[in-house]
Amino acid sequence: MIIDVHGHAGPWFFSTEVGSVELNLALMDRYGIDRQIVSASEAVTYDMVSGNSWLAEVLETQPRLLGYVVVNPNDLAAAARELEKYRATGRFVGVKVHTTYPGQPLMSAAVRDALGLAAEAGLPVLVHTWDETVLGLVDVLERYPDLRVIAGHMGGPAWRTAVEAARRSDRLYLEPCCSITDRGRFRYALDRVPLAQMLFGTDSTLVDPAVAMGVVLEADLTDDEYDHVMGRNAAGLFGLEAETDPTA
Amino acid sequence: MPVERQEIDLDVDVLFGVVPSRRLDASLEAVAELHKRHRIRRGLVCSLRSALFDACTGNDEMRKARERAGFVPVGAVDVRDALTAEAEIERLVASGVRLLRLFPPEQWVEADSPGLAHLVDVAVGHGMVLLTSGDLSSFWRPFAGRGARVCFLDVHAYRVADFVVLARREPGFVASTRMLCGPDSIERIAGEVGAHHLAYGSRAPLHDVLPSALRLRTAGLDDREWRQVAGGTAAAWLADPA
Repeated sequence: MIIDVHGHAGPWFFSTEVGSVELNLALMDRYGIDRQIVSASEAVTYDMVSGNSWLAEVLETQPRLLGYVVVNPNDLAAAARELEKYRATGRFVGVKVHTTYPGQPLMSAAVRDALGLAAEAGLPVLVHTWDETVLGLVDVLERYPDLRVIAGHMGGPAWRTAVEAARRSDRLYLEPCCSITDRGRFRYALDRVPLAQMLFGTDSTLVDPAVAMGVVLEADLTDDEYDHVMGRNAAGLFGLEAETDPTA
Repeated sequence: MPVERQEIDLDVDVLFGVVPSRRLDASLEAVAELHKRHRIRRGLVCSLRSALFDACTGNDEMRKARERAGFVPVGAVDVRDALTAEAEIERLVASGVRLLRLFPPEQWVEADSPGLAHLVDVAVGHGMVLLTSGDLSSFWRPFAGRGARVCFLDVHAYRVADFVVLARREPGFVASTRMLCGPDSIERIAGEVGAHHLAYGSRAPLHDVLPSALRLRTAGLDDREWRQVAGGTAAAWLADPA
């Protein structure tokens, strides 16, 4: 089973027609992706509350999709309410924290506290990481012993630093989606980070899954590596092990 | 995926040499092997020595690529030294090199650099085709209004609209597909301004090749458009119709 841990749902403001959930499913079919964990683009870029609400309605009718509750670090009280509201549905299996749109650096107190909320809720967090501050996640993980964090984009251009961070904490996971496809980036990580911490993510529908698929396949994974990266690790992290047929 | 979409004819974004920021085999032999593995027939190849250290000796090194099947030599100049670069363009033209690659971000050159604008004029005056890195949203300006034939190698999916509005009035503007990674980025440009404004580029060996190759191979283009992007656009620069 292939699980994509970094998906988006809804339109974006770039010149691209990616607003339809049907596109999520069509791209999943094209690349053999069984489950995709998505956040609402509206919640990421604009309004956490209305975006999460929209996604909750989508998830009611789309069994192959699961959700991230988007948490805006600028309003932690509202974020706590969102977590309480949507965790109970069973359709939201993680938390998404972006840094660009809320205008909060990864190492800000606000982001740290937002991650703390996720730890309290017992949910893994997908965090947008794009520079050397990804290393600071190690300190945050030490502060919250129950926290599990996915470094989205594997640090972007700072992927070597992301690898160093993942070597320092067994609760820091890496997923590779990125439009910068530096050669050998994923193999570099596989050779240094415990296999259990490596995940597959695409950034679909903002980015075509061909890019992340290409990055992973270029790494010449062994069967065991492929099995863990493409599904097994995510199933364990998000508690999806018992689910084999999402359409059942 | 149709069998005829397995082979890509021309890769417009190929480098070789030494990569000081990485431990990476970027030799010409390694690049050739990458292309072979990914079924890419030919590449427009430029020396990293030219880009990062010394344009003249780098271009001499690059010319040796001619001896190897599958590579078309691309010259380079150092925009930080526009005076030497003028003479180097003359030398390149005299030796039959028809493509010139510019590296403004790698050489810490701003989009409004006088030297950059001047060198674009010199190269265009010699009928050269230009390949350039840099964010399209700022680096379009020195190439506009000059009748330049230029391939922007770093056009991101987020800049599709900017590229389309530029291409409507600049017939020589082409976008490399490497970072046109959205599910409809390539298709949208082809539909808006035509596939002749697109060319496949991988940035081998600095970047993984399969992501860009797989995106092109799965692109929703008709066969004629696909062949145009996979080689036709660049072949036209070489007066060598695919």
